[in-house]
Amino acid sequence: MNLTPEQQELGRRNFLKALAGTPALAALAAGAAFKGPVKGGPVKVGFIAPGSQGRVLLEQTDPAYAQVVAFCDINPASLAKADEILAKKGQPPARHYVEWKDMLEKESLEAVVMAPPLWMHADIASGCLEAGKHVLCEKMMAWDEAGCQRMLEAKRKSGRLLEIGYQRNYNPMYQAAYEGIVRAGQLGDVYHARIVWHRNGTWRRQGQPPSPDYDPSKWGYPDFDHLLNWRLFWKYSKGLYAELASHQVNIVNWFFGAEPQAVLSSGGVYRFPEGGREVYDHVYTLFEYPHGRTAVFTSIESNAYDHYYEAFYGTKATLILRGETEAYLFDEGGAARPTTVDVTPKGAGPALEASESRSAEAAGAARPGAPERIERVAAYRLEVSGFCAAVRTGKPLAGGPERAVGSAKACIRANEAVEKKTRLTV
Amino acid sequence: MRDLEAVLSPAQQVSLVLLRTLIGWHFLYEGYFKLWRPAWSRAGAPLAAWSSSGYLHAASGPFAGLFHRLADSSWLGAVDQAVSVALVVVGLGLIVGLFTEAACIGALALLALFYVSAIPSAGVPQPSAEGAYLFVNKNLIEAGAVVVLLVFGTGRLAGLDRLRRPPRARAVRAEEAAS
Repeated sequence: MNLTPEQQELGRRNFLKALAGTPALAALAAGAAFKGPVKGGPVKVGFIAPGSQGRVLLEQTDPAYAQVVAFCDINPASLAKADEILAKKGQPPARHYVEWKDMLEKESLEAVVMAPPLWMHADIASGCLEAGKHVLCEKMMAWDEAGCQRMLEAKRKSGRLLEIGYQRNYNPMYQAAYEGIVRAGQLGDVYHARIVWHRNGTWRRQGQPPSPDYDPSKWGYPDFDHLLNWRLFWKYSKGLYAELASHQVNIVNWFFGAEPQAVLSSGGVYRFPEGGREVYDHVYTLFEYPHGRTAVFTSIESNAYDHYYEAFYGTKATLILRGETEAYLFDEGGAARPTTVDVTPKGAGPALEASESRSAEAAGAARPGAPERIERVAAYRLEVSGFCAAVRTGKPLAGGPERAVGSAKACIRANEAVEKKTRLTV
Repeated sequence: MRDLEAVLSPAQQVSLVLLRTLIGWHFLYEGYFKLWRPAWSRAGAPLAAWSSSGYLHAASGPFAGLFHRLADSSWLGAVDQAVSVALVVVGLGLIVGLFTEAACIGALALLALFYVSAIPSAGVPQPSAEGAYLFVNKNLIEAGAVVVLLVFGTGRLAGLDRLRRPPRARAVRAEEAAS
């Protein structure tokens, strides 16, 4: 989704204007203020598998909310990098473990933040819940639906909290868009959403094993490449659907207040077959929701021009949430507008911007005041903080596993639909 | 005791006891909350363990140097604990009306400390406080109200002090026994 600077400015202003006077979030905060404080300090947390994504969460962990006391990873290099993050933040070092069960046994943790490869989610999350720990588990919820159900059951039996790492749920921009625009009916009836995540490059990572004799086979990875590039193999991963689509389907489910009933997919390994890559590098799916609503997802690894966004096309207006940082709203204004093509001066990006949405002179009065850009990583910080606040105070989670299951089920079925080249019910 | 009840109307008596209860609650909760921390607000915001360090470092006025030295001393932890406990004890005393005079004197001592650590001499709103004050601020007004409680002996109007033998009554009985 590429918009001209004029369109961006107009869309931002419309978005802010539409939010003005929305009391929902403020009312929630005021309601909470009537209750007294809850005793306790920062939540004692252990990190399981602080790989690249886990370290994003670690970097954004506010010490006022969480005290990181232990790390656990089968890759010593990840432990060393996690140490560096704590040192850079001026926080005390955390103790190291290789096996997560050892960490649970030896540490008096209250909660676990975990970001291991997808195939391990159900085992580890269920085990932690059964051990009485609250769990913040990276997305997608689990490798298969049975794993999701196992996690839900463990959560129910343990009475502990389980949150899945969809940081958009904690992003104030998405919350404002939902409360102030979607729920307020400002889009009218929405029959169509478009969710896009386009990149140009291989997903394969380059790296050396932590030592020449490092052998991850006892954890199920035949060699270091399988551990490093677990996202590329079906045994551990669900590919682009798990890592990218599940975020966006989670948003569509939230905004639609529903889950897909059926999926229709296509895709394949078209560009990067080398290295034994198994998961698709191009996928296209149509998610069918109740009442004639549809979301179309595309993810390609051959062109990054569209980058990533979620767009909701309503009978009254169009809402575009781009790159987790920008929000635009365009009124329908009655008359249909043709697709416009604008030549826009830009820096490093493309010079020609094709806009299939409204042109810069679309309806919607400008509103004074410069809009603020949302910082993307702030959502991760809010996610970890929100999880800790829920642990300590009982404040509701912004997402929760029930919504995450809906997204996971749809994405798992979308993968199957690619494989079978057919329409599948969810 | 009978004199006081005879002189004051019921409304006046109720007003005095209500004033004492409100001030007591203010002290009690201030102390309780300091001891309760670290804590979290129900809205999910963490509140670190309380320390008077920031308050003492920000002290101004004639005793600023003393407060600053106290903030940097090894006594700070003990000061924090003492202030918190004192607030709770004073608050409880005022609410239940037990040792009311001592509670009032304790309250006055604490309020005096709070007042002299930051005497409002600027007369314009300060960044860390609401309102504009010149010499008279809420601490001083509350101290004035505590003086009223002290001189009226409200523990004998309503409170556990009624269960204690009034000193004057003990003296009268002793005189009667001697005669």
